[in-house]
Amino acid sequence: MTARTSAASAVSVKEALRRRHARRGGRGYAAARWAAAGLFLAVLLGLVVSIAIDSSQALAHSGIGFLWSGTWNPTANDYGAGILVVGTIVTTFVAMVIVVPVGLGMAAFLSELAPRWLAGSLSTAIELLAAVPSIVVGLWALLVLSPLFANYLEPFLKAVPGLEWFFHGPAYGPSILLASVVLAVMTLPTVVALSRTALSGVALADREAAMALGATHWQVVREVVFPGARSGIAAALTLAVGRALGESIAVAMVVGNSPAIPHSLLSTGATLGSAIVNQFAEAAPGIGTSSIIALAAVLLVLTLAVNAGGQALLRAMRPGRPGRAAGAG
Amino acid sequence: MSSVLGTVRAADSGADAGDDPEARWSWAAGARRRPVIHAAARRTLGRRRRAGRLVQALCVLCAAIGLAPLVALVYYTAERGLGGLSIGFLTHAPVPVGIPGGGISTAIVGSAEIVGLALVMAIPVGLMAALFLHERRGHLAGAIRFGADLLTGVPSIVIGIFAYALVVRPLHHFSDLAAAFALAVLMLPIMIRADEEAMRTVATDLWEAGVALGARRSRVARSVVLRGALPGLVTGNLLAVSRGVGETAPLLFTVAAPSFAMTLLIYTEGTEPFPAAQQTAWSTALLLLLFVLVLSGVARLVAWHLTRRAR
Repeated sequence: MTARTSAASAVSVKEALRRRHARRGGRGYAAARWAAAGLFLAVLLGLVVSIAIDSSQALAHSGIGFLWSGTWNPTANDYGAGILVVGTIVTTFVAMVIVVPVGLGMAAFLSELAPRWLAGSLSTAIELLAAVPSIVVGLWALLVLSPLFANYLEPFLKAVPGLEWFFHGPAYGPSILLASVVLAVMTLPTVVALSRTALSGVALADREAAMALGATHWQVVREVVFPGARSGIAAALTLAVGRALGESIAVAMVVGNSPAIPHSLLSTGATLGSAIVNQFAEAAPGIGTSSIIALAAVLLVLTLAVNAGGQALLRAMRPGRPGRAAGAG
Repeated sequence: MSSVLGTVRAADSGADAGDDPEARWSWAAGARRRPVIHAAARRTLGRRRRAGRLVQALCVLCAAIGLAPLVALVYYTAERGLGGLSIGFLTHAPVPVGIPGGGISTAIVGSAEIVGLALVMAIPVGLMAALFLHERRGHLAGAIRFGADLLTGVPSIVIGIFAYALVVRPLHHFSDLAAAFALAVLMLPIMIRADEEAMRTVATDLWEAGVALGARRSRVARSVVLRGALPGLVTGNLLAVSRGVGETAPLLFTVAAPSFAMTLLIYTEGTEPFPAAQQTAWSTALLLLLFVLVLSGVARLVAWHLTRRAR
């Protein structure tokens, strides 16, 4: 290639670049990308701002005591989220007591014990469970589980000696316990899938080192694999807690919806989500609606805090940023 | 690790323990060795192996317990829902309780309209935002990623309240538009993350080659990035749809009447004490479950096909 042609091509590159910028549609694409990114952030911001504004009326009416006041009495214009926060935390906690051992056991089975074909099909089954709509889970819990609980499981639990403090009172079926079981079913896929990924991610060399030291398989899992997967498992559980806190419709179907402090796991209760579902239609315009939206605000803050923690744990698990594709646009 | 180290210290000499059954559980084929274990260590080995077997049994039990709800759910929904399914159930409008016949045609049409409208809103925004993340770095991209991850965790009922405040109240009436907006907000973060993940599978070289050829960015995006990532995009968006179809809580505050959405119909009919209403709820639930499972099955099939072809 001679010097003259390369100089000529340099000019034409400049010219081509100029033409490219002048071409119709070249800028439209960049604008569309920026618009989509901006729109998404606007939605995010709008969500937080609109809920904050709409709940401010209720907070002005009830004061900061709204957060812990135990009465929810729309006829007396007396609103407080305290009981509902307690109900939300209790159902989530009991659900975690159920789902953590089962979920971690299942994740350990899938990652460490099961032959590949079985682990593959079981994982698919768990992903399908995640795809089942919450309303179908709620319907099943209300019409199938609830009679079983009222007639068999709850009388049985009441008869177990030593657990009277947890299980006493009439066995209706709909209860804190049933709501917790529903939440456990719905959070199981989150716990199993994420913990399994974390367990499988522990380096083969670490496992082999422990085996070479004479550890049995269980010792390898206990002393090497679980500690190695600690942050991933913590993230899985945190995200599951976030999901359990926010579930509303299935819980509303089986929790019994009585705004009172539960005195046993068999008594009925209410959560933030279930109260929003049940009270919204009857809420008086103004303070009533605003108080419901304030419940949503409390729920939003709770779940955002928990999920931000979960995401931070997930990011800590992967050192370095996720790989970036193509260069600057 | 104390017990493991103790064993090793004890294992400096002694009898051959024979073929170690634990080796069968090992991941590397080369780990099958004949350990040399001292008599004192052999006693602890027996205890350690018994503990291992106990835990193995517990893990199998956990897996069985975890699988039980899925089996029970599908079984009961099929058993109770099948009886009510018929052509008339799909094509007739709902009738009040006590009158025989009737179907859920309005709910099927309503759900399709809401989800369709939500997709029209969410898919272009999701794709463009993902392209933005694909081509740009920096704080804004990081903020969008983090925002998408957080929005995925926001309870759907809160998003429903947001749609009520933003769309229903200003327009003074419940509408499919408000419901579609709520579902779009719900699906958008899932779509953005899934789309970006799919685009990441397209080699950077190809993108650079396209730009080096002088093609416009929009042309490169269309012909290289979107085409290369197509199966992944289909999978991710189908999964987002299957999540949107099954949502109930956001529709509570946005849809005009329960008979205009399948999930709401399940909620209102299922909580009625009448067997006929519950039958409607079960049959609708079966339809919904079938649809969602088929959708995620198709999504998985597309993904599987993609990975097989890529090999």
